[in-house]
Amino acid sequence: MSTRRRTLLKVIVLGDSGVGKTSLMNQYVHKKFSQQYKATIGADFVTKELQIDDKLVTLQIWDTAGQERFQSLGVAFYRGADCCVLVYDVNVMKSFDSLDNWHDEFLKQANPPDPKAFPFILLGNKIDIDGGNSRVVSEKKARDWCASRGNIPYFETSAKENIRVDDAFLCIAKAALANEREQDM
Amino acid sequence: MIEIESYDFADDVDYAASQQQGSQSIMRSNSGKMKDPEGGEVVYVKDNVSIHPTQYMSERISGRLKLVKQDDSLFMMWIPYKGQNTNTRLSERDRNLYTIRPLPITDVRSIRRHTPPLGWQYLIVVLSSGLAFPPLYFYNGGVKEFLATIKQHVLLVRSADDANVFIVNDFQDPLQKTLSSLELLGVVPVVAPSSAAIAVSPTSESQEKMAECACDTNCGSEFIERPKYKVNDPARDFSIQLLEKFSLVTKFARETTSQLFRENSGENLFLSDGRKPNHIPALPAAPPKLPPNDVQKVSDEVHVPEDPLEFYKLALIWGNPRQPPLSQEEWGDFLDSEGRVVDSEALKKRVFYGGIAHELRKEVWPFLLGHYDFNSTYAEREYLRSARKEDYEIIKLQWQSISPQQAKRFTKFRERKGLIDKDVVRTDRSFSYYNGDDNPNINLLYDILLTYSFYNFDLGYCQGMNDYLSPLLFVMEDESEAFWCFAALMERVGPNFNRDQSGMQAQLFALSKYCLVHWQLVELSDSPLHDYFKQNDCLNYFFCFRWILMQFKRQCADIYFSSFAHHRELRYEETLLLWEVLWTHHLTEHLHLYVCVAILKKYRNKIMGDRMDFDTLLKFINELTGHIDIEPTLRDAEALCLCLGETGAACIPPGTPPSLPLKNALVSSQLEDEILGYTILRKVIADQIASAKEDDLVAFELVFRWEW
Repeated sequence: MSTRRRTLLKVIVLGDSGVGKTSLMNQYVHKKFSQQYKATIGADFVTKELQIDDKLVTLQIWDTAGQERFQSLGVAFYRGADCCVLVYDVNVMKSFDSLDNWHDEFLKQANPPDPKAFPFILLGNKIDIDGGNSRVVSEKKARDWCASRGNIPYFETSAKENIRVDDAFLCIAKAALANEREQDM
Repeated sequence: MIEIESYDFADDVDYAASQQQGSQSIMRSNSGKMKDPEGGEVVYVKDNVSIHPTQYMSERISGRLKLVKQDDSLFMMWIPYKGQNTNTRLSERDRNLYTIRPLPITDVRSIRRHTPPLGWQYLIVVLSSGLAFPPLYFYNGGVKEFLATIKQHVLLVRSADDANVFIVNDFQDPLQKTLSSLELLGVVPVVAPSSAAIAVSPTSESQEKMAECACDTNCGSEFIERPKYKVNDPARDFSIQLLEKFSLVTKFARETTSQLFRENSGENLFLSDGRKPNHIPALPAAPPKLPPNDVQKVSDEVHVPEDPLEFYKLALIWGNPRQPPLSQEEWGDFLDSEGRVVDSEALKKRVFYGGIAHELRKEVWPFLLGHYDFNSTYAEREYLRSARKEDYEIIKLQWQSISPQQAKRFTKFRERKGLIDKDVVRTDRSFSYYNGDDNPNINLLYDILLTYSFYNFDLGYCQGMNDYLSPLLFVMEDESEAFWCFAALMERVGPNFNRDQSGMQAQLFALSKYCLVHWQLVELSDSPLHDYFKQNDCLNYFFCFRWILMQFKRQCADIYFSSFAHHRELRYEETLLLWEVLWTHHLTEHLHLYVCVAILKKYRNKIMGDRMDFDTLLKFINELTGHIDIEPTLRDAEALCLCLGETGAACIPPGTPPSLPLKNALVSSQLEDEILGYTILRKVIADQIASAKEDDLVAFELVFRWEW
């Protein structure tokens, strides 16, 4: 084991119940998709090692309960986060409308040193469903929201079909690493 | 044997009782697991040794003190007399609470003798954990013989610090024991006697002298001519004060708790019928927190806690063997000719120790959940079933009759529907009863959950409820019956889903409080796991969240990637067993919290050895899914519950789910005020514990202060 401490990046995945948070994480880490994931209770995380510009990092991705009622527990889990991933379902308007709440609630509970600079990333998931015909949130609408929130990077994904999942998480890792370096300085 | 001193026993009821019962055997536990050590030789016995549980000298509990030798071990026990009582304030419960079960003398750290110029001699026995029993007053004399008898069997060293303190030592590691006794007494750092000086001592007779010599040599001449009463030592005085404070405060806490439960009609945790557990009577005095000094550090290093061994020993002593499930034949014996359950407590006890044969669950669960009354007849239940079915259909119609146009204007309804819709299709789908496309049972889950969210509109639907319903529907195989059993269960665990999470916070808080007291009382070392949790920001016990929220269901039944169907079914069965045991409320309503502690203790060496931080611990616990053996875990939990008894139970504030909320009880307005104050304070404390940054002592003192 190396004596040098490997960089650990903590990433929190938030979003309404059933938007596919667990599925995205498991697709990224285990390359698996299951229809049978249960609703996440409490919190859990998965880890993945990856290399960013010659630097080996461990991405610790936290999965949380999507029901609003469990939001108050965030305090225990959000501490020390390096990046926050917001997820919504492009087929469910409510999940998009909730983004403001998730965004603000995260900042409130995680209480990062510089909230304005804290990295967020938005994923619009389930673009595979019904060939995109049941979609209710347009890409433009999502991008506008991202622009209004300080140019949050945006990805349209499908955990089921493994569309842009790796890209999204690489972006997440980079943002988290940048944030971590920022804080080291 | 009885030497009457200057005390008139003529009108002393306790004394009369002692005379009546003097020759009776002292097998005390109705569960019959802790007898006098079999074949033990009684080497000392003294009647009318009493404690005074209150500040009134008139209120006392008298009993018989014994020393029993078995094999090479010496046990001390003190059993209060049964029978009448002069004062009504002292109940049978108090007697049980203070009973000293056979206690290995090696678990005693020191004995302090008090010889007041006026009045009776008394002893204070301090355990290795730092806990002290309440003073034992020797109304018939016999202090000297007591100490002499102990000295004949174990190494008893007069403290270098106080001539009235006798340090109990075993032969294994005199240095270590001496160090820990020094630590307890909180003396100014004293260089430990050289281990060689003690280790070579051939007989116990000479050991005391040797030890004293060693101490004297090392500590300097000031100890050679010790005054009988030692001059003030601020450090020690502080320790004693703290000890007294804690014992006073916790006593009040216990009394308050008991009172609350007495007032709480019907749902009495502490049954007064004598079925309740027996306890280590130890007064829950927290060991003094000493200012850090070198002595303590050294002894911490030497004192490697060997908990797993201790724990298995504990289970062996206290936990009852598990039994096969309740059979059809036995069940028949519990019912009278009209179908009433004749002895519901016996039934609960039977289920507690063995669970229920699967085919019987459908019949017995509604009783355990409170859906059926134990006193109901077959005919009454038949009537109830049909009446409840109608009720269910009416509630169900409430949402079924909502038209699409109405739904459009009913956001809450749509949201609930959406949540339930998403969750039922991912509820135990790998279990045969719910697997496959278009499984009708999934629709039943949906209907029942949505109906419940109308029946209890305030609580609504929350994730995790589906997990509670799934086994109920599987067992009841009837929509309406499953619904009513679910509704009954939610009366208990519904607070787990409160919007403000107060129900969960209360349980996590009770768990952390219980654990603190537990580590201190039961472990022979000073709560290293607690300290570990504290150092690693784990004191909020959030890692137990999933366990508590769903009463371990996910731990048993939730295996995502297991490809062994048989394995999954087996695990599902284990949930059913665990739940029915929890629902009996035999011994405690909070067995699930004891189960948490049992599992933590089981893995404690792994947790500490691997230096798990909060994240790793949470992950570790989540990954225990499917790896928890229910039967041994239940036995361990029972052992924990029995061994701390009401002292442990007093850590769990009244009204903590799944206890019914206090407001249902007939309480005086004053009590209501107290409860209100308590609720607010509990919130404050829970917040503090959640942040887990403050010194734990401060947090717990706050609690004690309130309860006081």
